[in-house]
Amino acid sequence: MEDTPAIATLDLRKTYGSVEALRGLTLEVPRGSIHGFLGRNGAGKTTTIKILLGMTRPSGGSARVLGRSADDPRASVEIRRRVGFVSEDKRLYDAMTTDEMLRFTASAYPAWRADLQQHYVRTFELRPGARVRTLSRGVRTLLALTLALCRGAELLMLDEPTSGLDPAMVEAVLQALVRHVAREESTIFFSSHQIAEVEQIADSLAIVHRGRVRAAGELDELLGRYRRLQLVFAGEAPPGFSAPGILRTRREGRTLTVFSSVGSDGLLDAARALGPVSVDVAPLNLKEIFLETVGTED
Amino acid sequence: MLWYKAWLETRWRFVIGLLLMLCCAAVVVFEYPSVVRLMQQLPAVAPDGEIGRRVAEEIRLSRQFRGFVWSHAFGQDLVTVGTFCSVILGVGGLLPRSAGDATLFTLSLPASRLQLFGVRAVTGLVEWLALAMAPAILISLLAPAVGERYGLGAALIHGACLFVAGALFYSLTLHLSAVFGDPWPPLLITLCLALALAIPGPLLHVPGRGFYGLMSGEAYFQGGRPPWPGLLGTAALSAVLLAGAFVTFRRRDV
Repeated sequence: MEDTPAIATLDLRKTYGSVEALRGLTLEVPRGSIHGFLGRNGAGKTTTIKILLGMTRPSGGSARVLGRSADDPRASVEIRRRVGFVSEDKRLYDAMTTDEMLRFTASAYPAWRADLQQHYVRTFELRPGARVRTLSRGVRTLLALTLALCRGAELLMLDEPTSGLDPAMVEAVLQALVRHVAREESTIFFSSHQIAEVEQIADSLAIVHRGRVRAAGELDELLGRYRRLQLVFAGEAPPGFSAPGILRTRREGRTLTVFSSVGSDGLLDAARALGPVSVDVAPLNLKEIFLETVGTED
Repeated sequence: MLWYKAWLETRWRFVIGLLLMLCCAAVVVFEYPSVVRLMQQLPAVAPDGEIGRRVAEEIRLSRQFRGFVWSHAFGQDLVTVGTFCSVILGVGGLLPRSAGDATLFTLSLPASRLQLFGVRAVTGLVEWLALAMAPAILISLLAPAVGERYGLGAALIHGACLFVAGALFYSLTLHLSAVFGDPWPPLLITLCLALALAIPGPLLHVPGRGFYGLMSGEAYFQGGRPPWPGLLGTAALSAVLLAGAFVTFRRRDV
């Protein structure tokens, strides 16, 4: 396995007219990881993926996938040869049958894995003769995933891969992705706003908001350093509390709640100096980290 | 497989167009015996004015099978239906914005935009070539059924004129499809242009059939020489439009 990251972007920018979709997005996805790309709708997730696959040109900055520049048309073809992709809309060719879609896609990928095709067709109960236009959104999603997983790709880019699936299928897909990474030593980069899914399978993640990465790192490391300090005062809580690493503070009557992205050790002394009657420190779960991170500018 | 995909996307347009073009050709051939009978019953009339001149010209052409076929098939029906077919084949382009498209999946394939564009453009052109040539060949094959002869070489030259001139409409539609994405503006703009090109002859009293004269192979019918300058100029313009379409497609974000 090469040393270069699977994905590396630096100060990536994309402007559509007067709309800034990406405002200096810097991201690094290590090889062999399952990397969640969390963000609200319109945060810039899909735009980032489109730039990485050469579908959209960046307005500034750089993006490299598997060590190659995503903005170079020739390198982009090679990138797409080594990347499996599932689009957010899961659109495939309506006029083709499931079997034709599989054969069509297989013909474009020299490393196509017929054994995996057989496995996933059976696992996802795909009917070979069914026309794509007759498939439900859920089954189309499963077919799109099969087409991505069988490419023999080093990197899978999945844009909202479980949208349209029922909870049982979501679970089956997530398990399939985990097994795929373990067996094939590939990397998965998947965008989602389903926090529970990211928490379940990702080992690293980036939270993107308004075109910038607001938080990134190993999942355990993130969970280990985000803290909520709850300070209760005898009277009215003081209006402010500022220190490096504080995401936001919330004041409600006698209570001052402080959200920190750098743990609590360095803040406790400063917090106690305010004279609270009690200080309570609690870890944040991923949902809280996400909400506090994307809420910092709202 | 990209070829197969392009074929799947255009096959119904092609098949319906082919049926229409073949029907036009067959109807003209099998109509000829009744026209001959009608001509024998016609009094020697010579009305005045432009209409009279046109009627007289039509009667003169219809006295011979070759003239009747040129006037009705290559000069009217095939040009009209063919223009519509060439426009329809060019509609859709490569980045359609309709709800059912699979643009993202297509662009995720390990193929360059030149490959994607080239396959789509060439598929449409080959289909248009078949639409232009098939009725010409059919006329030549069916002529003996009504006791006439129509040389295959002459039929193919008329078919080639139809193809080259019609390719301009195809290229313009594909070009506009690359610009707009939405299928309606290219369709309407090209059909309006096709209509505008039909105006000069009848309304402005300009001799000849203008662009549609080139499309029907009028110069070859009248003088026995293919209209090389017109064909080469049209082909060059089509090539420029296709190149422009590619440049637009290559730069387009999705």
